[in-house]
Amino acid sequence: MKALFLCLMMLVFQAGVAQEVDDGDMLLNRPAERTYDIILESGYLKVGVYQNFPPYSYMADGEPQGIDVELGKRIAAEMGVEFKVHWIVPDENLGDDLRNNVWKGHYLAKRRLADVMMRVPYDKKYAYMQDSTGEYMNEQVVLFGPYQQETWQIAYNPQKMESVDTIAMFQYHPIGVEIDTLPDFYLTSGLNGRIRDKVRHYANVQEAFGAMRDGQVSAVMGMRAEIDHELAKKENSNFKAAGNGFPGIGKQVWDVGMAIKHTHRQLGYALEEIIGTLVKSGDLDTLFAEQRLRYSLPQYYREFLSEEAIARAEGSN
Amino acid sequence: MRPNRFGIRIAVSTLALAVSCGAQAVTDNDILNDASTPEDIVSYGMGTQGQRFSTIEDLNTDNIRFLQPAWAFSFGSEKMRGQESQPMIKDGVMYVTASYSRVYAIDARTGEELWQYDARLPDGIMPCCDVVNRGVALYGDKVYFGTLDAKLVALNKDTGKPVWIKKVADYQAGYAITAAPIVVKGKLITGVSGGEFGVVGKVEAYDPESGDLIWTRPTVEGHMGYVYKDGKAVENGISGGEAGKTWPGDLWKNGGAATWLGGTYDPDTDSLFFGTGNPAPWNSHLRPGDNLFSSSRLAIDPNDGSIKWHFQTTPHDGWDYDGVNELISFNYEEDGEKVMAAATADRNGFFYVLNRENGDFIRGFPFVDKITWATGLDPKTGRPIYAEGGRPGDPSSIDGAKGETVLAQPAFLGGKNWMPMAFSQDTGLFYIPSNEWSMDIWNEPVSYKKGGAYLGAGFTIKPANDDYIGVLRAVDPKTGEEVWRYENPAPLWGGVMATAGNLVFTGTPEGYLKAFDAKTGEELYKFNTGSGVVGTPVTWTMDGEQYVSVASGWGGAVPLWGGEVAKVVKDFNQGGMVWTFRLPKDRVASQ
Repeated sequence: MKALFLCLMMLVFQAGVAQEVDDGDMLLNRPAERTYDIILESGYLKVGVYQNFPPYSYMADGEPQGIDVELGKRIAAEMGVEFKVHWIVPDENLGDDLRNNVWKGHYLAKRRLADVMMRVPYDKKYAYMQDSTGEYMNEQVVLFGPYQQETWQIAYNPQKMESVDTIAMFQYHPIGVEIDTLPDFYLTSGLNGRIRDKVRHYANVQEAFGAMRDGQVSAVMGMRAEIDHELAKKENSNFKAAGNGFPGIGKQVWDVGMAIKHTHRQLGYALEEIIGTLVKSGDLDTLFAEQRLRYSLPQYYREFLSEEAIARAEGSN
Repeated sequence: MRPNRFGIRIAVSTLALAVSCGAQAVTDNDILNDASTPEDIVSYGMGTQGQRFSTIEDLNTDNIRFLQPAWAFSFGSEKMRGQESQPMIKDGVMYVTASYSRVYAIDARTGEELWQYDARLPDGIMPCCDVVNRGVALYGDKVYFGTLDAKLVALNKDTGKPVWIKKVADYQAGYAITAAPIVVKGKLITGVSGGEFGVVGKVEAYDPESGDLIWTRPTVEGHMGYVYKDGKAVENGISGGEAGKTWPGDLWKNGGAATWLGGTYDPDTDSLFFGTGNPAPWNSHLRPGDNLFSSSRLAIDPNDGSIKWHFQTTPHDGWDYDGVNELISFNYEEDGEKVMAAATADRNGFFYVLNRENGDFIRGFPFVDKITWATGLDPKTGRPIYAEGGRPGDPSSIDGAKGETVLAQPAFLGGKNWMPMAFSQDTGLFYIPSNEWSMDIWNEPVSYKKGGAYLGAGFTIKPANDDYIGVLRAVDPKTGEEVWRYENPAPLWGGVMATAGNLVFTGTPEGYLKAFDAKTGEELYKFNTGSGVVGTPVTWTMDGEQYVSVASGWGGAVPLWGGEVAKVVKDFNQGGMVWTFRLPKDRVASQ
């Protein structure tokens, strides 16, 4: 009992450091049912972002930083409540992350849920996916509010390769990827495995850039914002963004939005309105520019906005 | 939180002292002779060879009906999930672990708690492989166990106070420990668990007194092993000689092959036998080659961690057939000659008999009703003959469409999973807790991971039969003949024990501890413990009476996976108890 008490105390303490709030039900060991009104009343919004995931969300100088954190802060400010970070340790796939952080809670931390989760791909096909018995796999959550379009990007060392015309170059030049990601699978099995022997695996894109500085690899492939973020660093100023295509990748671009629990739709409507204004006004583009990142408007908006409105959202006006 | 915590603590420690009075330190000899000393259980496997055979005859087919509960003990708290532990017994004290990295010392006569230790798990920990723990090791005056955050903890056996805590691997990198460590020749030996995050399996030996590392042996080809002298790491050879022989590119650096189920020890050949998990990444099309030493059994020298031999059950695994299942040493006679053998029932559905001196394949045969991924084993080498079209497709080759569905049997949870089988020295049979299920695997048309597009595989597990999944089988290792079988509606997930009383014990997810006639398979006894039994039973003698104990508490991997199997198990309640049974003295001679 004493050990348990100590354990709880430590949890509270730890949560304090990470600026997380524990508002779950201690007695029943379940998360608080935080509807829109309860969130407003409580005075804070718990925003779920991935841990150690620059440039989207990460700790720097003792503070949560990154695009998703900044966006979370803007949303909370618009709602008139305080921003509280909820760190997400990524599991094997998105479905696991949604279960652990949005609708059910992880079995080791059953009281811990985010009010809203950021960086959730907005994809109708995914949202309405059915399992082998015909059940909708994601019926416990609502995916909404696309705010960015993400894509793939290669950075290279011009001292090692003149340019990256096609990915066939990497039959000859070593390239770094984050392990167990699509770039890993794409390059390791693409071109009938002819690139396989040149693929080097790292824990994240940051480490892969370290290897490029050490001369171990001539290029790095990752998500565009990750690559841009690294290229903006002084120590990587010798490296360049490539302009090649990625033939054979099923998902060349995808929209990124948010997720809430399906019983909290009223919160979703409020957030959707806020995010829509931020996107259409070009504020989000400014936010990305401040982080020295390129911004692409989600496909969702391209389907109904006028050309002028699209240009405004992407900061051309 | 408690009104008089002080008073209770004093009471507890007095009791602890009273019981441990006269308790002796566990020695190397105690451990080596464990299989033939019925009054204690000081090794995982009831003997380092892992036979799980008790020589006690008091309890037998004639009097088993008089076996009665002596006491039951609750692990407490809301952590009711997956009790896969094997209890240990020494000098009237039971040492048993529970899920979420908890350890208990219990008065084996009364069921009263002497002490409890709860490991403090870090915030945000995401163990890959559920929250189970399979047991402790005992040595000297200490109790050892591994935690979900991949640490080894040494506790004082009388007080439960930690003596030392050592980090074996980084939980943030995806490592954990769920298996019981073992003590061999004064060394504390452990493996590691790990998910798909680019871990590399290893076996390590520690000094039980100080917790200092003695040697480390990676289980993926290309990684250097070390022995430690005066705190310095001395190179002791690269596993497999060099990198890149059976792996493409740099994939050996993150090759998987986690040693998550621990190992056994054979004193006759002075070898540790550890199994290894599947290779990483899961998509086999990324890593053409055998991918050594994934899905293998390794014979390791306990003195310095060198690999003596290996036997790979599933080369180039593409079905998640871990090769971790226990390798049990046993001898048998053939043409008047003694054969020094070892046997294992693999996830992949085949039963293997190996020469334990050199790892040579003696024979192999399916122990499940149907295997689809291979048509058989090469009679000389034991290497599987892959079935055409039996390998799941390459997810990179589909473009937004659902890939072709491949049916594989057994399912990835295996013909047999972690739950240990038993070998009876009387009948010469192995008693295998197995399951009859298949899986559909396909490539997901839409998949995301950590905010990015991804290529994922989908799968679903299906029972192979309408009325049962679990099958407890008695199998003759010399012929492959199935002597008898017991069919169970839910999948079997608990360990097995055989005794000289012609009995075989195992538990069921329906909650029963069951006993069978070892020769005929007739069910002779059942007792419902209130929650699914996924622990491993043990038996010992105390004050002239025979006792049986088993942990109860549904959980483990089965309820984590959905599909058709979920329908069978969804109504089972979780739990957290250890049950102890006794055969009263005056019933020993009962007919």
